Amino acid sequence: MNKKTKIKIFLVDDNKVFTLALKADIEVAFKDMCVVNIQSFETGEACMKKFQEEKPQIVILDYHLNSNNPAAADGIKVLEMIKRASPDTNVIILTSEDSVEIALKSFHHRASDYVVKSETKFKKINYSLFNLIKITEAEGEARAYKNVNLILLAFLALMIGAAIAIMIIKPSFFK
Amino acid sequence: MITDRNGKAIEHVCNFNYLTEMMGGKKHLIKGIMDAFLVQIPDELKSINDALGKVNFASVKNFAHTMKSSVSVMGVSILTPVLKEMESMALAATDIEKLYELNQELTLICHLAIEEVEKEKEKYV
Repeated sequence: MNKKTKIKIFLVDDNKVFTLALKADIEVAFKDMCVVNIQSFETGEACMKKFQEEKPQIVILDYHLNSNNPAAADGIKVLEMIKRASPDTNVIILTSEDSVEIALKSFHHRASDYVVKSETKFKKINYSLFNLIKITEAEGEARAYKNVNLILLAFLALMIGAAIAIMIIKPSFFK
Repeated sequence: MITDRNGKAIEHVCNFNYLTEMMGGKKHLIKGIMDAFLVQIPDELKSINDALGKVNFASVKNFAHTMKSSVSVMGVSILTPVLKEMESMALAATDIEKLYELNQELTLICHLAIEEVEKEKEKYV
């Protein structure tokens, strides 16, 4: 992992103690690997207000978001909103229940991973983040490689075009 | 001294090893989380009490669910089965008397946890 890689993460959970602990845990776990910028939100609605402006690469999203605010959208609804706004953003769904139904729903709505809040939750979240950051880095490198190739191809095409034009306009040039 | 569900005596309800290990011993982070815990737990207890007073099973379930995450950060594992039972009983919306009983157990253990966190926090000031 590249130490210069900057990763923007949104953390959406309505439990402040859990959010603080997870944020601090991620910062400690990734401090020597990359630059992590984490912003936390109590509801999906608050997250979406900042989403377009900040464009995070990864969102860690709790399934239950209505403890303090009964009208708040649940994790799946927020996941839908995120994917509509940015299909490439990776979303990790968190839930306290080990439920196949929620897991299937999450993957059906294109979540990248699903983590149960068990005793090893922080380790599992870090493992999932590590994999997603590696994928994000690889995608970035692939994009950069593709751009270099496109520039080289464009340059080559320009040279061939110029040669053809010279051959037409001034055939004696190559003699 | 209190006992767990198997009748085993428990000296401390909190286990701070996980938190300190997770935070890499960073005092300001640990203190920040402890401060949030000391504010949040009394609020959550009050919310559960209010919900029980209004016989609002849905709210009892939601707050019991949220509390599982809060108490796990301080390693209060003795509360996990209590909160799970409260959550499933509230979901079934039956036996309010049993829920009152579980709430008493929850309140007692939370107060002990708060005392332990306050004492532990002194190390990080």
